Parts: sequence; C-alpha cells; structure tokens
Amino acid sequence: MLKLSLTRAVAYIDRLPLFTRLAIVLAVGAEVLGVLPWWDVRAWGRLEPDEIGLATMYRTNTFPLIHTDVLHLIVNLLAVTPMLERFEAEHGTLTSVALFMGPLSTIPALIYVGIERFLLRANTAIMGASIWGFLLLGVEAIRHSRSTPYLVINGQQTIPTWAVPIALLLVVAVLMPGSSALGHLCGLGVGYAFGLGYIKFLAPPERVLRWIEGKLKLRTWLPYYVSVDQKVYGRPIMMPIIIHGAVASVLQLRRDPRMLKVPPYLSLLCILVGVAWLFLLPLDQYSRRTYISENALLPGQVHTYFGGSDQNVFRAYKHEVDELAGKSNTEVNDKLEPIIKGLGLKTARQNFTYHAAGHTYAGENLYAILQAPRGDATEAIVLVAAWENVKHEINRNGIPLALTLLRYFKRWSLWSKDIILLVTPDSIAGPQAWVDAYHDAHDPARVSSLPLKSGLLQGAIAIDYAQEGRFDSLHIVYDGVNGQLPNLDLINSIVNIAQGQMGIGVALQEMWHHDNGYPDRLRTMLRGMLKQGLGLASGPHSSFIPYHVDAVTLRPFGEGWQDEMAMGRVIEGSFRSLNNLLEHLHQSFFFYLLMQRERFVSIGTYLPSAMLVAANFTIMAIALWVKSGQPREAATPKSKTDTPAAPATAERDLFLPLGVVALIQSLSIIPLYLFNHAPESALTPLFALFTLLSTLLPITLSHLLPPTPSPQQQYHLIQSFSLLLLGMFLSTLATLNFSLAMITGLFAVPLSFLRPVASPAGKIVVGGVLLNLISPSAVLLAAAGYWGLDVTSVLREAAVGWQVCGTYSPVVVWCVWWPAWVAAGVVVLGERKGGKEKEA
Amino acid sequence: MDGAKVTLGRMAGLYAGAAVLRLAVFTLIPGLPDLLTGRVEISTPVTSFKRLQEGLFLYNHNVSPYDGGVYHQAPLFLPLFSLLPSFASLPIFTYLLYIAVDLVSARALWRIADSGEAVSSALFTSPRREKRWSGLVIAAVFLFNPFTIATCIGRSTSVFTTCAILHAIAKAVSGAPLGAMVALSFASYLSMYPLFLLPPLVLLCYDRQRPERATNSPLKFAAVCASAVAGVVAVLFQLSYLVTGSWEFLPSTYGVQLTLSDLTPNVGLWWYFFIEMFDSFRSFFLAVFWLHLSSYVGGLTVRIRRQPLVVLTLLLGIFAIFKPYPSISDMSLFLAVVPLYRHVFPLMRYTFVSAAVVLYASCLGPAFYYLWIYAGSGNANFFYAITLVWGLGLSLLVCDLMFAVLRDEWEVERPEMAGKEIRQI
Repeated sequence: MLKLSLTRAVAYIDRLPLFTRLAIVLAVGAEVLGVLPWWDVRAWGRLEPDEIGLATMYRTNTFPLIHTDVLHLIVNLLAVTPMLERFEAEHGTLTSVALFMGPLSTIPALIYVGIERFLLRANTAIMGASIWGFLLLGVEAIRHSRSTPYLVINGQQTIPTWAVPIALLLVVAVLMPGSSALGHLCGLGVGYAFGLGYIKFLAPPERVLRWIEGKLKLRTWLPYYVSVDQKVYGRPIMMPIIIHGAVASVLQLRRDPRMLKVPPYLSLLCILVGVAWLFLLPLDQYSRRTYISENALLPGQVHTYFGGSDQNVFRAYKHEVDELAGKSNTEVNDKLEPIIKGLGLKTARQNFTYHAAGHTYAGENLYAILQAPRGDATEAIVLVAAWENVKHEINRNGIPLALTLLRYFKRWSLWSKDIILLVTPDSIAGPQAWVDAYHDAHDPARVSSLPLKSGLLQGAIAIDYAQEGRFDSLHIVYDGVNGQLPNLDLINSIVNIAQGQMGIGVALQEMWHHDNGYPDRLRTMLRGMLKQGLGLASGPHSSFIPYHVDAVTLRPFGEGWQDEMAMGRVIEGSFRSLNNLLEHLHQSFFFYLLMQRERFVSIGTYLPSAMLVAANFTIMAIALWVKSGQPREAATPKSKTDTPAAPATAERDLFLPLGVVALIQSLSIIPLYLFNHAPESALTPLFALFTLLSTLLPITLSHLLPPTPSPQQQYHLIQSFSLLLLGMFLSTLATLNFSLAMITGLFAVPLSFLRPVASPAGKIVVGGVLLNLISPSAVLLAAAGYWGLDVTSVLREAAVGWQVCGTYSPVVVWCVWWPAWVAAGVVVLGERKGGKEKEA
Repeated sequence: MDGAKVTLGRMAGLYAGAAVLRLAVFTLIPGLPDLLTGRVEISTPVTSFKRLQEGLFLYNHNVSPYDGGVYHQAPLFLPLFSLLPSFASLPIFTYLLYIAVDLVSARALWRIADSGEAVSSALFTSPRREKRWSGLVIAAVFLFNPFTIATCIGRSTSVFTTCAILHAIAKAVSGAPLGAMVALSFASYLSMYPLFLLPPLVLLCYDRQRPERATNSPLKFAAVCASAVAGVVAVLFQLSYLVTGSWEFLPSTYGVQLTLSDLTPNVGLWWYFFIEMFDSFRSFFLAVFWLHLSSYVGGLTVRIRRQPLVVLTLLLGIFAIFKPYPSISDMSLFLAVVPLYRHVFPLMRYTFVSAAVVLYASCLGPAFYYLWIYAGSGNANFFYAITLVWGLGLSLLVCDLMFAVLRDEWEVERPEMAGKEIRQI
C-alpha cells in the first residue's frame, strides 16, 4: 500500500518481503555494476531480439533487472515495488521467485522477440522492470473487474475496469520517451492471461512448495520470508485509505518526541542563514546600483553660477564670523541677524532649553525665510548651518558659505519654494527644537514657538564645513534619529551633482578611502548599520528625518584643490534639483543600506536576515510551549500499540510563568527611567549598582519562585513566553529600525539556547559566568571599551538622545533585551527545586 | 457569613485596584488618553470620543449634532455628557464615569460567572464543571486586560455597549427576562449589532426562568421578549427624537453602520474592501457582508441549543472579527466572557498559536500604521495585512473555543471516547 509520510515509508520498507527486496537489490546492483568500464552490463543483459539464441536465453530473465539509467530505475522501482510486494504477500515468496525468475519474465520476452523478429522485422532492445509492472497491473485489473466491473466517472461514462491498464499504457507510451509500448503490451497480455487463470498452471503446486519449505525450514532462517500459508488475499488499493493514513501519520508525527529535537537546529539554522545573508549583501549579485527614480529632480542638469564675485562676499562674511569665535550664542545671533536682515529677508529667533543627564542644553536659533518669487509659500527647502558641529568645532566656513549662498539665492528669480536659512547654536538640540516647533510638536515649556513660518518642508541640507582651506571630497552624513533615513533619491542626486558635475569625490560613513571591493563595502554597510542601530542624531539633519523631511549633512574633508565655491555650487545644484520637485520625494527607497556611494540594497533584500533572527526566538518559544505540554512520563519509552495514543497534553499552569514574565517586564521600566533621568555624575555608580543588582536578580527570583508540582514545565513556560515576547518585539522593530533589531537579536541569540542546568558546578559556569558575559551591561561595557569610550559618555549620549531627539534605543535595550536576559537567567538557575524533587 | 465578608473584601479590593490603576494612568500620563483616543484600533467612527466631543459641542450650541457628518453615535449620549461638567475644564468627571462603567461591567461579569451558567445550563451539565474560575478571577481578568484598560483610557463609547451586553446576560442568567431585554435594547440602541444577540438571549432567559413564573410556551415567551425589546427601543428612539428634534439621527448613526459610509481604517475587514470596491457593486457586497454577519446567529443558536451562553460568547467573538467597525473593545468583551469556559480550556488545541498571533498583530498593527500614516514609507496594504492577521488570530480562538465546547458536549454522549483522539471523516 502506498504511504505518504516519512515514518510510514520507513516502516513500509522495513516490511517488504524477501523476493521484492531481492528484486530491488538486484536491480540496484545491476545499476551499480553498470559503471564498470570493462563489462557492459546493459549490453549483456538486455533483451535484444536478434541476440536471442539458446545460449543467450538468460537475457529473457535478466532484462527486467537492468535499466537504462538511474531515473529509469527509480521510476520503475516506485511503480513496481508496491505491486510486487502485494503479489508476493498473496502468493508467497517461493511462488514469486519461481514465477518471476521463470515464466512471467520469459513468456512476455519470448512473445516480444517473436513479434519483433518475425512480424516487425526490427531489432529494438528493451530492458527494465516496467514489463513486470504492466504484467502485475494486468493481474490486478482482472481481479478488480471481478468485484467492480466498471469504473463510473461523472455518474454516466463507464469504463471497464480491465481496460484501465491499457489507458495507462497509452499514457506511458506518449509521455515517456523511449518506452517500448510493445514490450509493455506483451507484459500486460501475459498479466491478463495470468489474472484470468489461463497460465496458473505454471505456478508450482502448493504441495511441492510446502514440502520444500518444510525440508529447508525456510521460515525459520529466512527473514521477511512469506510462507505459503501466510498468504493474504486481496488487499486492494484504496485512495481514501491512503490519504487517511497520510493525515493520521502527520498527526502522529506531531506527537513524535523526535519532533521536539528539531527546533533548536531549525532556529540555529535561521540564525546562521540570517547572518550569512548579511555577509552576502555586498556582493554584486545582491546589491544594486543606485539610480534616480524621481525624474523631476534632474540632478546636475543646470549650470551653476555661484562663484566669481561671490568669492569676495564669502571672504567678507568669513571675516565677520571669525570675529565671533568664542562669543556667546546671543552675541553671535545679534551680529548675524542684521547681516541677514540686510539681505532683505525676514528673520526670527527661537529659544529652547533641554535638560538631559544633569546638563542643560539651552540656546537660541536664528532663522530667515527667503520668500520664493515664483511660489505661494506652501513649500520650503531648508539650509542648515549649525554654529558648532557634532564634534563641537566651529563651523568657520559653513556659516559664511550659507550667508553667501543666501545672498546669492536672493538674486535669482527662479525659486518656486521658499528657502529657509537656519543657524543653530549646536548640531543636535537646536535643529530638534526648531523642527519640533515648526511642526507644532514641541513642548511649549521647553521650546518656544516659531514666530515666522513657511510652507511644508520638502528637504533640508546642512553644511558642516569647519575645515580650513581647500578640500578634496565630500562626506554625506545621512543617518536620522532612530535609524530613519532620507529618501535615497536625495543622496543619489547629491552624489550625481558632486561627482558627475563638479568632479568632487563622495564618501559615506567615514570611509575616507573606498576601493569598492568587498571588504570596504562590507565595512561601509556595517558602519551604517551600527549608526542606524544606535539611533542617535549624527548631525543637524537628523532631527528633520522623523518629520518626513529628507535631509543630509554635507561635510568636506581631505586636502585637495576644491574651494568653498565648489562646495557652494554643489549646494546650489542640489537646491535647484529640490526646487524642481513637483511632489514630496517618495519615488525611491526609504529603507536601504548603502555600501558604496553607488551601491545599495533595499529592504526586500536585507529584511529577511533580521526576520530570520527574530523567527528563531519564535520557533524556540513554540517548541518550549509544546514541550511544556508533554506529560513528564513521556520520556520513558512506551510499548508500541496500534491504537492511537490519547492526546496526552499535560495541563499547563500559566499563572506563575505569566506573572514572572510580567514582573520582569515591568521591572524593566526602572533602568529605563534611572539611566535617562540621572545626572551625569551619578551615571557610573548607578551603572555599577545596576549591574550588580541585575546579576543578583535572576538568582533571587529563582529562589523566590514558589514550589510547584512540575518546575520543569514552569521553566519551559517562562522561557517560552519571554522568547515569544522577544521575537515579537524584534520582528516589529525590524520593520522600523532594521539594524537595531538585527544587533539586539544577535546579542540575544544565546538566550534561546540556554537550558536549565542541573549540576551545581554547571550552574556556576553557565549561570554565573556565561550568563553575565552576555548581559546587556557586559555588552555595553565591552562595546564602550572597544571604541575607547567610558560608560558615562555612552549613557549620557543615550540620555541626551532620549530626552532631546526621542531616540528609542534605550527602550529596546532595557525593556526588550534586558527582561529576556533576566528570564533566561531565572531559567538557567532555577532547576534547584526540580532536582530535589527528582531525588525524592 | 465569613466567606461572604472575605468575598466582599476581595471585591472591594479588586474594584479599588482597577479604579486606582485607571485613575493613575489618566492623571499621571496626561498625554496618553488623547493619544489612545486618536488610535484607529480603539476609536472607530461610531465610538470615538473625539467625535463625541464634536457632537457635544454642536449639541450645546443648538446645532444638530449630525451636521458636518462627524458624529455617528446615539443621540442620548449627548444629554448624558452634557450633564457632566465640561470635559475641557474638569476631565476628572468623565474619567470617573468611564471607570464606573468598567466596574459595573465587571460586576455583571462576576454575576454571570457565579451563576455557573457556563458549566451547567438548564439542558447540559459539563462533566468538567469542577474546574472553573471564580467570579473574582474572571472579573480581574476583564478589569486588568490591557485591551479593556486601553479602551477605557481611550474613552471609546463602546464601553457603554459592553456594559449593556454584560448586564443583559447577567439579568438573563439570574432569571430576569425583562431586565435582560431592557439591557439588550439599550445595547442595540447604542450600537445596533447587539440586536443579533436576541435569539440566544431569549433562549437563555427561557432556560433560566424562575420556576414560579415560568411559561411553557417558548413561542409566546419569545414573542413577549421581542415585543419588549421593540417597545424599549421605540421609547429610546422617541426620546432621541425629542432630544435632537428630528429623525436625522437614524441615517447618521445606524445608516452609517449599515452602509459603511465612513471608511476610516479600523481593525476590521470591511474598510479596505469597500475602499477598493467599484460603486456599482457596493450595495451588493454590503448585503453580502451583512448577510454573512447575521448568518452565524441562526446556525449557532440551533446547533448549540443546549448552551445559549456559549452561543452568546461565540457571537461576541464573531462580531469582534466581522463587524463593520470593530475595535479592540470588542476583543476585550469577547476576552471577558471566554474565561467563563475555563473548564474546556484543556480541550482547546490552538490557544498558544492564537494568543501569539493576536499578540503579534497587536504589536505590528501600530508599527505598520505608523509606517503608513506618519513615516510615509509603508502603505495601506501594510495595515490591512495586519488586520487580516488579527482577524485570523481571533477566528482561530473562536473556532477553537467552539471545538472545545462541542467536544465537551460530545463526550457526554460518548463517555468511552473521553480523552481519545478523534477525527472528523
């Protein structure tokens, strides 16, 4: 009978009777021998009509066991084995041997040879077990037609049952190239004859068989031997039973304890594939060349006129700005405001005060609006020049350049969008306050509202030009807060203008030299991922991106021959492109990883890797849930019974595990609050204290857990719930901030493989050492050490990001990763009571 | 006596805890109520508190609240909320009202749980009846369910419907058919869909009649019940007419639900479908969707005749999936009654899967909505895909509960098969 599932298939093969096995072995053996160079088995054994003589009669018996190639062999074996097995079960091994090694091969062979030689006068050699197949089909069809003489299709058309093999023969003849319809027909004919009983006499009489069997004691020493007396009559094939069996075996498989061994490997595979995937991305086959999607941008298509006498204006402004170095924010604005007003623009100022990590970040933004001669003030582009860049260097060339550009832009009548110049005292808080207030999303207590506004912001470009003298290339900084990115079209346009039009090189992610090889691409991508994962603001542009305003910071670097005017022309070109926009940038990608200025991968290509890592947690959660439901005595092997096992699912007690996970999850608010609100001086002691307490927490919790009848189940459930939450949060996060999800997921990977440790020594090693090595605190320390930072500055940056920009990376660390780690700690350390119970 | 005192103490503790928690969230996180009110998962066009305020403003300025097409809720909310001190100056009274409604709902749920109707109805007693949760646990599960809390904080007016439905059931199991019908009329008046609960509720009332006042004619009983509902609803309509001065409220409230004219996204399955629809097919598919929703009532009522409360529970779950404007408040109502079936939980097979699916959906839903609406990097398909997943999780839960209940019934008929694996052929 056909069986469709693996376990059943194995069991089925296990039950095959002797002759069937022998036939399979011989056929496979012949196939193997076929590779021998000095003996052509096929030429030796096939049925070649012209070769048949008295000495070569052996061919009439050997040809069914020889096949043209492996595929032929497999197809034939699949077709013949079930029928042969049934034949043997019905007639006994001895009869089968006698028939198939004798008349049932020879007779069709001789008929075939006769027809070939004398009727057709041809010489087509045949081989293969399919002749047995058709013979057996014939036998089967005749028997079936006794019980059901007609097959009814559609309730009206009837087909005689005996004719079914003929239809099959025709199908095979049409579909299988090189099959011999005549050979099959001969087999089928003999099969019909045998089925109708005309050649039953060929079978050796039962008396003789029984005698042989008795004499040789075949039943005792031959395995899988089907005795004459064991014969089974009529086991017809029935499709419903097969399907039924398949369903049942799938259900059985679900209960198979071996199934529970699979998930850890599966989730390991997920992780490995996920990581390997990431490393494939820089290859040419997986990354793509960048291209401009938005046709309206037309980057580099206009002639830029900035230069000439603007050089002198620039020098004058630079002189003014140099005077201001070291002055206070208000003094600077007091000086700059009249200059801008002198250009004929409206200006306004805005105060802001942020408190983070015990510091106060206060200042005053100055901004001016150049009203578009051809626009209706519904759209605007922003030019940002922060007084200080992120490294606290004064923007000595950037501010004068911005002023010069504004003066220059004022002369043109082609602007269809307002141009806003924003001068902020710093690169993080100032722009954030301004953008928040521009969109009325600010807290009026800390940030004052804007007295002057324009239309919808369409894009922003920040100049960070602190370097003195000429430069070589342009560094584009594009990471936004929380890993959000500007539309790829903006970056592409600037690359196009700088590189294509001006001949200025472009670098990304502080890769000052990039040879476009695999290592450099990978490094660029990983740096980008790290920045994205940290989610901190990387320049004045970062605050714009969460408001769906595409923004980048341009920073010249290196020693070269490009001067300030070249930089100005790049910005002019970019502004002209943005000015062309008919609608907000939307065509190109918002989720991408850049690995070189002209190569990127889009979300569809890279997302699976983070999702696979997140999926590993979910797989383990499901596996642990199933495991927790298995009764404890399931470990002892049960006697095999044919009746279906009862759905033995142990009752799960959910309250305690749910409570533990909920408790840990709610405790996570404490570090989140503390680290984001403590003053800077307290951060390091607080961190030390927290690390100590969080090391002790799993130990304490595992001691405090009330004893339950089955601690094993409780721990499985705790881990299951905690991993489920982890997987869920990470897969959600992967859609928002891929890199953060990927990084957190990789750090949390060991958590899905931690298991309760029974021995005290193992507990100390795993629970005491290994567990603490993968704790968020330890990873934070290690990372800070690797980049040569101290913990305080890391925590301060995180607090500033949280308080000012709304970076949510701390939430992910403290409220997603840390609880999962604590739960894993409880599971590792908590086997104590279970162990005792086992001893008792 | 002592036990009663303990119960009373626990009850007071539970209610106080739930009330304090809600009040704390209302007052300590001042931005949260408005944030939640704006979430499409909580506020639908027919339950939104923001829209209620708009209607209230119009009403207080003697303009028809239905002018402008924003307000789609029952007219009687308007005098109720007008009686409260102004929300803008003294929001605490509104908060207290919503907290009180939740507590009253929990009380009704407690009564339903204590009646034991879920484990032992008039026609059927479960062999597993020993294993059930007390009213305290069930009320606590309802009160501390994050979905319930979010609905309360979001001040969706669906809490009033939830309260009315739970009271209708509570009255029914305590043998007060008239009270049940009045409560159901209120629920139907507020949200319309609870009218579908009438047939199983009438059966429940019939089964739980007090012996001294029992009638033996089911038809007569049903007729009396139906006319009671019709009468109360008619009175409410008349009152509404008096309040608003016109019958305009009928098309603006029930008409919107029937024709789905407001296509604001929600967690249900209708909005996306009808956004995509060509206008010529609209009425046909509206009929199909409503027919589909109503078709469950008859089938389930007949099939699970012996346990009308099960029918009510399953219908609440089905409505939470297939209603025109579902929200997580419908989910919270369904999850409130599901723990009554603690005794059949061991028979359920996909609890983990459905719980995980619902959790995933409730996590990914807001994320995808954010990507669509705010970040602009996703689109409507993202959110709709998640509402499909949400619906899948819920329907798994409904099917699983149905299977468990039917299996429980079947094992009474076939005690020899208890605990054995069965397969439908």
